[in-house]
Amino acid sequence: MKKVQIKQLIEKIEGEAELDFTFNDGLIEDVKINFGFYRGIEEILRDKAARDALVITPRVCGICNHAHLLSAVRAIENGYENSGIKIALSSKANDIREFTLACELIQNHIKWLYMTILPQLEAYVNQRSEENYAIKATYLSSTITKAMAIFSGQWPHSSYAIPGGVTCDPTHLDVIQAQNRVDESIKFFEQVVTGLSLDVYLSIDSVSNLHHIKGDFGKMLHLMGSHGLAEIGQSYDRFIVFGECMLSKAGKSIVTNVSNVDTRYVEESIQEGTVAKAVTYKNRLYEVGPLARGMVAKMPIVKSLHKRYKDSLLTRVFARINEVALLLEHTKTLLHKLQLDEPSCTLELNEKLYEFEGTGVVEAARGSLIHKTTVKEGIIANYDIITPTQWNLSHGSTEEQGIATKAMVGSKSIEEATFVFRTFDVCSVCTAQ
Amino acid sequence: MPSQKKPRLLWLQSITCNGNTHSFLNHPDLFSILSYFEVVHHPVLEGSYVMEDVIAGKVPCDVLILEGSFKEEGLKKGGVEVSSLIHTYAKKAKHIISAGTCATFGGIFKQNNPDEISGFCFDLEEKTARYSTYASKLISLPGCPMHPKWMSYVLLMIANQKKIAIDTLHRPVELYGYTVHTGCTRNEYFEWKIDVKNFGLKEGCLFYEQGCQGPYTRGSCNKILWNDVSSKTRAGTPCFGCTEPHFPQTSLFSTQTNMGIPAKMPLGIPRRAYLTLAGVVKSFKIKRFSEKLLEYDK
Repeated sequence: MKKVQIKQLIEKIEGEAELDFTFNDGLIEDVKINFGFYRGIEEILRDKAARDALVITPRVCGICNHAHLLSAVRAIENGYENSGIKIALSSKANDIREFTLACELIQNHIKWLYMTILPQLEAYVNQRSEENYAIKATYLSSTITKAMAIFSGQWPHSSYAIPGGVTCDPTHLDVIQAQNRVDESIKFFEQVVTGLSLDVYLSIDSVSNLHHIKGDFGKMLHLMGSHGLAEIGQSYDRFIVFGECMLSKAGKSIVTNVSNVDTRYVEESIQEGTVAKAVTYKNRLYEVGPLARGMVAKMPIVKSLHKRYKDSLLTRVFARINEVALLLEHTKTLLHKLQLDEPSCTLELNEKLYEFEGTGVVEAARGSLIHKTTVKEGIIANYDIITPTQWNLSHGSTEEQGIATKAMVGSKSIEEATFVFRTFDVCSVCTAQ
Repeated sequence: MPSQKKPRLLWLQSITCNGNTHSFLNHPDLFSILSYFEVVHHPVLEGSYVMEDVIAGKVPCDVLILEGSFKEEGLKKGGVEVSSLIHTYAKKAKHIISAGTCATFGGIFKQNNPDEISGFCFDLEEKTARYSTYASKLISLPGCPMHPKWMSYVLLMIANQKKIAIDTLHRPVELYGYTVHTGCTRNEYFEWKIDVKNFGLKEGCLFYEQGCQGPYTRGSCNKILWNDVSSKTRAGTPCFGCTEPHFPQTSLFSTQTNMGIPAKMPLGIPRRAYLTLAGVVKSFKIKRFSEKLLEYDK
């Protein structure tokens, strides 16, 4: 047996990571995932006013900042409720928050499809198309973030969600403009991404219908299928979702068995050799993200793929792009039912609380994002952020290798392994906050 | 510049959240702007060199865009200190653009290690030791994040070989000569000293209670709109002063006051002038300002 160790810098993820591969007899036996720099957002938050978290935590991440804002506001609201102050969001505020979060997820997934997966896949299978995928990515992402900014004021780094609601008070003029941006995004998804109308796409519920998908998504599926990528990249088949949202209920799925979860059993630990902390649920590792949501929600097409290919690279990639369709339809519905005559914020301005503890959970693009705040005398005594990529990219424990590591083990080459790695939609800035 | 070689553009990150990268990707004319340059390396877009070449110091660079706070030691890429890469390319470059508040003044990440983390040429508003070496080619674009159109303005001025007028902190005056207050849709309420009664309302100004820093923050957020559609204050969110050297301060959602008057005055306005005007306008009760701006039929 011959062991070889190779270090590789991975770029063009959100930031960079360094992977240390251990090969044994030509196959990858272990991978250590290392991230560069710890920025100390949790320390920066300490001793600041409770609501400052709404401005500071979005700066964890340039691509999923809005998910951080919503986790932060939910943590404060949960703290208020734990202390007996009822937070009854108007359906308007709730719908606007859901809308803006959905827009951010779409932006994320589309950038990942066009700026990561397609170019990397073409490079890996050596069939470069010379197409400017980035122009497609930025067209759709800037269109949908425009829809979002009508309510949130801007993207990235909005702080428009506040305890009790939202700061905006939109008019029909605003809603119509947002609807135009959503319609444009749907048209793009239909004509360029899938070559199918959204309705027809959403009716696909089994692997046997996948060949109907055309466009860039169809091209990607075809390239993966014809290069033997459908079954590689399997991990533990163990998934977890903490945030309730339109994509999924909270719960965990082991193989296909779905059961309840509680954030109290989430534990963080320091890992050697990297600034990223590991995270477990009742001492076990779980995968988070779109595939987890598809499994816990028992989404028919995801279940069908899982039945044939298990938790492989193909199932994982599909689950993520599939969410774009679900979210696009959802954004349209949300705008349609928006009740503009309701209040935007139901918490009185002078209703302030000086001692509380709260937890906020959001399903971000890459999975469950958890914020925990402890406030004493009006200032933050402690703040904890657990990001989705900490679940997927940890080194694992003494008994088990990490989720992404497990998916890379058995690969024959660094190229194959790094492609598997990228299917987790890696974000280094979130992992090493 | 038809016959000339395109300037080579390198976008280099240090301690960052990637927010300026994603802000710039929102630019509706992104690829026509970039067509004036050869992108040698960028964090997410295709470039003509890979990161390993950048780390090896062998990439050509005419325009260097810096994103993220600066630290001399402790942040490495591929085993090399990022600070040394920044020095290497800053020396080569003809223009240096510090993109965002972190690269310009130190920004949010400075707060975790104020002694060692700063901007590249400024530490808050003070000049760093590096300033004198690079000042002649430095343009500052503070903002957390910077606005994509502020970046395109600078890039196209460079591509067109035009001189950019700057202030003492090297910010382009065409962008930072204004305050965020300029163009705010709530200006009428500011003039008549009408505060907003709660968050989530169209009526009222956020300067008096909600901590809005727009009247003393430099930036054109309400002149060149965000995502082409809005701004913080238009969406009812206070301006947090994210373009300023000391961003972020604390208690961002409330206004500090002295005897009921905002502790910090609008840019350049003497306290006495402010109080005189406030006294005059507050002596009138304008009915229109006590009413809703518009109402829907029930």
